[in-house]
Amino acid sequence: MAPEEPDSVAARRNGPVDPSRRRLLAGLLTAYTASLIPWALAQPAPHADRGAFTALSAILVGRQALDAAQATRLYDALAAAHPNFPADVQALLTLLNERHIDPQQLQGVLDGEHSPLAPLPRQILGAWTLGVVGSGEGARCVAYETALNAVIVADVLKPPTYAYGAYGSWASKPL
Amino acid sequence: MSGQLSADIVVIGSGIIGSLAARRLAQQGASVLILEAGPRLERARVVAAFRNSPIKGNWMAPYPPSPWAPHPIYVPQDNGYLKQAGPYPYPAEYIRAVGGTTWHWAAQAWRLVPNDVRIKSLYGVGVDWPLSYEELDPWYQEAEEILGVAGADNTGSPRQHPFPMEPVAEPWSMRRFRERLAPAYPVVANTVARNSRGYDGRPACVGNNSCQPICPVNAQYLGINAVEAAEAAGAKVVPNAVVFRIEHDAKGRIAAVHYYAPDKSEHRVTGATFILAANGIESPKLLLLSASDKYPNGLANSSGMVGRHLMDHPSTSLTFYADEELWLGRGPQSPSSINTLRDGAFRSQHAPYRLDFTNISQVLNVTGDLIKEGVYGAEFEKQLRWRAARQVNVKNVLEVLPNPDNRITLSAEKDAMGIPKPEAHYAIDDYTRRAAEVSKADFARIAELMGGTGLRYSAEGQFANNQHITGTMSMGNDPASSVVDAFGRTHDHENLFVCSTGVMPTAATMNSTLTGVALALRTAEHILPAKNAHAATAHSSHEASLA
Repeated sequence: MAPEEPDSVAARRNGPVDPSRRRLLAGLLTAYTASLIPWALAQPAPHADRGAFTALSAILVGRQALDAAQATRLYDALAAAHPNFPADVQALLTLLNERHIDPQQLQGVLDGEHSPLAPLPRQILGAWTLGVVGSGEGARCVAYETALNAVIVADVLKPPTYAYGAYGSWASKPL
Repeated sequence: MSGQLSADIVVIGSGIIGSLAARRLAQQGASVLILEAGPRLERARVVAAFRNSPIKGNWMAPYPPSPWAPHPIYVPQDNGYLKQAGPYPYPAEYIRAVGGTTWHWAAQAWRLVPNDVRIKSLYGVGVDWPLSYEELDPWYQEAEEILGVAGADNTGSPRQHPFPMEPVAEPWSMRRFRERLAPAYPVVANTVARNSRGYDGRPACVGNNSCQPICPVNAQYLGINAVEAAEAAGAKVVPNAVVFRIEHDAKGRIAAVHYYAPDKSEHRVTGATFILAANGIESPKLLLLSASDKYPNGLANSSGMVGRHLMDHPSTSLTFYADEELWLGRGPQSPSSINTLRDGAFRSQHAPYRLDFTNISQVLNVTGDLIKEGVYGAEFEKQLRWRAARQVNVKNVLEVLPNPDNRITLSAEKDAMGIPKPEAHYAIDDYTRRAAEVSKADFARIAELMGGTGLRYSAEGQFANNQHITGTMSMGNDPASSVVDAFGRTHDHENLFVCSTGVMPTAATMNSTLTGVALALRTAEHILPAKNAHAATAHSSHEASLA
């Protein structure tokens, strides 16, 4: 098999970086949060709400690059599923900006403080990594092949239902 | 009432078993009509439904039930179709659609081991079958050649003739299990209805790793292949035909069956011989529903055994991290297992079992775990790769003994068509629970040999179900204690046969489909002998029941 470099799709879609957009996203961050995602400062941020979502997404998923088209789809789906979503995203980003919370400690801090923002990181991480927004009968699949859990392992595995390769190609050592 | 259909043979249920019985009878020149409660499905739509499903861990999601022919659904919510009377839940899954439940199966196409059919004589438990393994052998062979079964001779099930195909290429992960567990445990290739080369116009497996819920490329034999083969032989399939009553005449012969179309119009189908092949839950339901003045307890039920002896294969399991990268998810889902515990003197004390390794991609589960744990930032990607590469699972597949109290009955609740829903009464006895306890030592040893860390045993006293619905219309020589005879004919109705895993008197440790198919082919031969029947059948008495 010829595994696709996981970031290549995102890189192609993001295209050349517009310096004005870079400043816009960077403007949403403090030195602390910017230090968590130095690469993400180059992400496009069409307006503040979406910029905050991109920044928060980058912090939560810890990826070098996020696909802008997918970010738009996920944002729209999350905003439709959760009425207060844009404000919550802003609030959580502000919290991270101001309190310098380590992403590894984030869930514990939110849970410990019984924060109303506690469900938010899981909603965003689930959207990016499973491609699923909402829960129970309201759950929607927004992405599958481009969900990050497929992209992250794309050098080794194909998403189920996609052919791995010619008959027997799975007999060899994976990496 | 509108419309009237008629055929030499009327088959109720279009699953792999009913369809292959139908095919064989159509090949002998009989007119055959298959009535299927559910709709016709298209493979490509099932694949798309899976890819678009928000609950990919639930393999029933691509198979939503139709309002007129509901089947059990549990995720995201129990649809309340299979009622649970307890004490232990029996959340069976099956598909009511043309082709039936093997639209999604792991294609494990196992034979029994010879002692499985004599456990009463040998071990003092359960019951003996009314036929021997040797009598089954040629029917297994015929079934294996139709399905295209790949396997090796080292699984404990003897055979007279070679497998149609060599075993499917071993995934790297299973190779490492085999190498590292030897000699303590021999890990062998599963016997599967999956192509290791082009076979009967279908391609070799290309490792889509979605055997369940759907093989996208037709490398795995499905019920729909059986349906198409039956149609090619001349059988006619009527989808969306919800049979709700079997009608008998004054002599107790079956005269007709009645079905509802989705608009609830009623149709009557006459025939000379009837085959009930609607699985181990819907078939007894239909027999019980067909009670009459002459048969107040339901058809084929003079013994009172219809619906009783419900069996399946419960499993407990161990999940852990191996100390090397195995990357489950490359190749088919169910490639290998340990078969040495399927039989032995211990069967007088506890259930036998098979130990089964999954090769299902762990990415989905691991992602869910990491989200649950709130792992964010760069650590998420690192952990996802580490766990997806190392997480493995071994489960047991435990025998359940026939117990008349484990049964399917009619619920007081009705479905949208006004037909009573099935109700499951189920418990897992100490014979099976003792084996689960014993197998923990195997789990621990396997984890040790694989350098396992992060050991997670399934919750104490909790069993996963394997959807191998068995019993409920057991075969036997004594009409007082069984529903059908050794050829699948109901003791009570001369022209009513049952083709189903439901006729198996015991469940053994193996996925039941191949045995169900083999028995059905034997039943078909009994109804109408093939012109070139294999030698082994010369010993059986043939009987043409055609009018």
